Amino acid sequence: MTPDPIPAQHVPTLECRNCGAGAPVDEHFCPQCSRILALGRHGDYFSFLGLPRRLTIDPAHVERRFRDLSRQFHPDYFYNASPAERLASLERSSYLNDAYRALRNPISRIEHLLAIEGLPPAKSEDLSASSGQAAGKVPPELLEEVFELNEQLDEIREARESGTDPAVLRDRLDSARKPIDLKREGHERKVESLSARWDQQLDAGDAAAKRATLEALRERLLERNYINNLLATIDREASSLDVRAG
Amino acid sequence: MGKVVGIDLGTTNSLVAYVRDGVPHVIRDSAGDALVPSVVSLGEDGTFFVGREAQRRLLTAPSRSVYSVKRFMGRGIDDVRDEASLLPFNVGGDPGGVVRIGLDDREFTPPEISAFVLRELKQRAEDYFREQGEFDFEVDRAVITVPAYFNDAQRTATRDAGRLAGLEVLRIVNEPTAASLAYGLDQRDRGIIAVYDLGGGTFDISILKVDDGVFQVLATNGDTHLGGDDIDRLLVELVLREMESSGPLGGSTKQDPPYGARSAEDIQAIRKAVIEAKVDLTDAEEAEIRVDALGYRRKITRAEFEQLIRALVERTIQPVRQALADAGLEPSEVDEAVLVGGSTRVPLVRRLVSELFGRTPHSELNPDEVVALGAAVQADILVSGRREMLLLDVTPLSLGIETMGGVVSKIILRNSTIPASGREMFTTGVDNQTAVDIHVLQGERELADDCRSLARFKLRGIPPMPAGLPRIEVRFQIDANGILSVAASELRTNVAQTIEVKPSYGLTDQEVERMLIESFEHAQADVDARLLIEARNEAETVIHATEKSLRRPNFAEIAAVDLQPGEQERIESTLDALKQVMAGTDRDAIRERTHTLNHATQHLAEVMMNRGVREALAGKNVKDV
Repeated sequence: MTPDPIPAQHVPTLECRNCGAGAPVDEHFCPQCSRILALGRHGDYFSFLGLPRRLTIDPAHVERRFRDLSRQFHPDYFYNASPAERLASLERSSYLNDAYRALRNPISRIEHLLAIEGLPPAKSEDLSASSGQAAGKVPPELLEEVFELNEQLDEIREARESGTDPAVLRDRLDSARKPIDLKREGHERKVESLSARWDQQLDAGDAAAKRATLEALRERLLERNYINNLLATIDREASSLDVRAG
Repeated sequence: MGKVVGIDLGTTNSLVAYVRDGVPHVIRDSAGDALVPSVVSLGEDGTFFVGREAQRRLLTAPSRSVYSVKRFMGRGIDDVRDEASLLPFNVGGDPGGVVRIGLDDREFTPPEISAFVLRELKQRAEDYFREQGEFDFEVDRAVITVPAYFNDAQRTATRDAGRLAGLEVLRIVNEPTAASLAYGLDQRDRGIIAVYDLGGGTFDISILKVDDGVFQVLATNGDTHLGGDDIDRLLVELVLREMESSGPLGGSTKQDPPYGARSAEDIQAIRKAVIEAKVDLTDAEEAEIRVDALGYRRKITRAEFEQLIRALVERTIQPVRQALADAGLEPSEVDEAVLVGGSTRVPLVRRLVSELFGRTPHSELNPDEVVALGAAVQADILVSGRREMLLLDVTPLSLGIETMGGVVSKIILRNSTIPASGREMFTTGVDNQTAVDIHVLQGERELADDCRSLARFKLRGIPPMPAGLPRIEVRFQIDANGILSVAASELRTNVAQTIEVKPSYGLTDQEVERMLIESFEHAQADVDARLLIEARNEAETVIHATEKSLRRPNFAEIAAVDLQPGEQERIESTLDALKQVMAGTDRDAIRERTHTLNHATQHLAEVMMNRGVREALAGKNVKDV
């Protein structure tokens, strides 16, 4: 669950509720009175953790940032503080935990980047989840595989109805799964190279090129979701075989 | 400010610990015993017994003695009907509501029963601090531990119990995490730790990453209905089966097996016997189950015992695998395995854990005490502001809300680090609709019916608008205790919504308040009952001493020589007067007449003492006097 981050650009500063001083939005403590700041308006997950918007990050580095910040504003250390500070600590810690969870995983990291760069979420509509059919708008990249798979699934279902040995059907499912698995592996490499391209463009690239990379990343995420749905469909088919076999 | 303690509120036993000079200590009674059995018994005269005394009464007054109440915390009668039927005390409650335990003509919720245990621990700690000469010995705050796999309702029930016992609950901490804190004090600086916690009633597995004083839970899993109680039950059932097949003992009327025909007293006698055998089998290869009252005895080898409980113990394997998978780890990546909970003394359990992680598990710290020690450490962190250590725990179960068609939409996923927050947007389905019903659930299943219902509430005060136009944001916040709170606002108008949360299996704040008031009233009644017992005891002592003197063979001679005329008669009449009020409940009358008798026998006592001294000086043995 990724809460919608509220873009920071409109509100560059934050008012300290204790002393009234202004603080940059990514500060956690008031520069003047050093009290913990209410979460209020806040930056994105990257800036909250003090990280550049890069997609390739050293997991150990993120973890260290997470631990350092946890030590600064975990509710354990505000037990004796005022109610306002306790609330600030609770909200800031929650946001930190959300941020760390989102950024330590490469895919949710991309999803967050797309959101804060203003792209629509890469969530495909309800595909095969309820219909049991790999339907919905098929990404062009996958047309061939989807066509092939649906045909095979239909055949397997027919064979199942006419009482074919589940062991035979399971083998057929396995071979139907192979091209999709391959597709996913190739796909992961594409996501990695696009992520690397984004990181290079971050400082030097012009706006249009950066936008193109983001659009491409979004396309890849849509495909990825689609591939995962296809694999889930195959798994469901396999488990229905198990039920019948059992 | 009073003192702060850490409390392990266990299914079978409870403990209290505190930190002095940075080192945690368990508080023991004068006999050196740290464990307070989590048993509460209502005496025939209305007095409550807690701990060892109540445990003894399991055998003599089983229907008035409650044990393993932790299993009922935050649960409904529908959840526990099966196991309640096996218990000698009365478990009831309305369908869809909290469990209620009937004792005599009074009814108690599980938090109220737990509060008795907590009060006993509070008392024990205060007695200890007073003896230590502390000026400020009152205990007013505590960290209380719960199984990691406890859901929101079970955690809230535990916090309510603390409040009812007059304790501010600073934090609810997960038992395996607390244990790791206690171990972390003098163990390695960094690494992956697996804590395997098999207690009296619950099983937890937690995988932690420890680095630079930060104890971060990566994943947790478990079973809130798996523990030593279940091992005991298997053994009790074994004994019952054998009793049935070896002939009618106690006139069996074919009721539902296995307990149907047995009295509560019989069951408790058997339970006590099998627990003793179980404990013996920790070190011995063979033990005896011996129920003298029922003329039953049999030998049981460890191999037999292990065969009986193997399936039960193996139920812990799946949660361990799941927790490792959720943490993204292989068993070989675990650096240390730690054993917690009394049931990890069972050799089969130790073997299983060794096999699971491919290493010998740690058990240097007493598995019964380590959780309370960790709770004390956490309490100290909270009040002292020490920052060397930090505990980052997770929520064990996903939190979601019911959507169209009874499907659950997950808002906060399991194993999320807490505090955690989530939000969900709602809108209306009908024009000018001003309220929306929301059903909050906890669990991993897809359908609401398969998850735990936490609460239902109505979002009210939505400004009238065409259907679908309002944008109502509902925010869920799980705090560091793992307890949920909910807030909502309509974003177009920025109107905050009022939320009345009705907990599905918990107590409302009003109910807790009412119980607090009642417990004060009952506390007075309990004090009265206790004072009456004390008055009777004192009276009995005086009566006994007086009668002993009057019955002496040479009393007539003593009376003739040393007593004044009419003195003997006066003693006898005041003695009778006291005996008359002894059976009643008039405490003041008993004390007054005890005092009178004391006074009336004062001269007699002096006479006796002088004679004793004289006879001793005359060379007679004092014992013959």
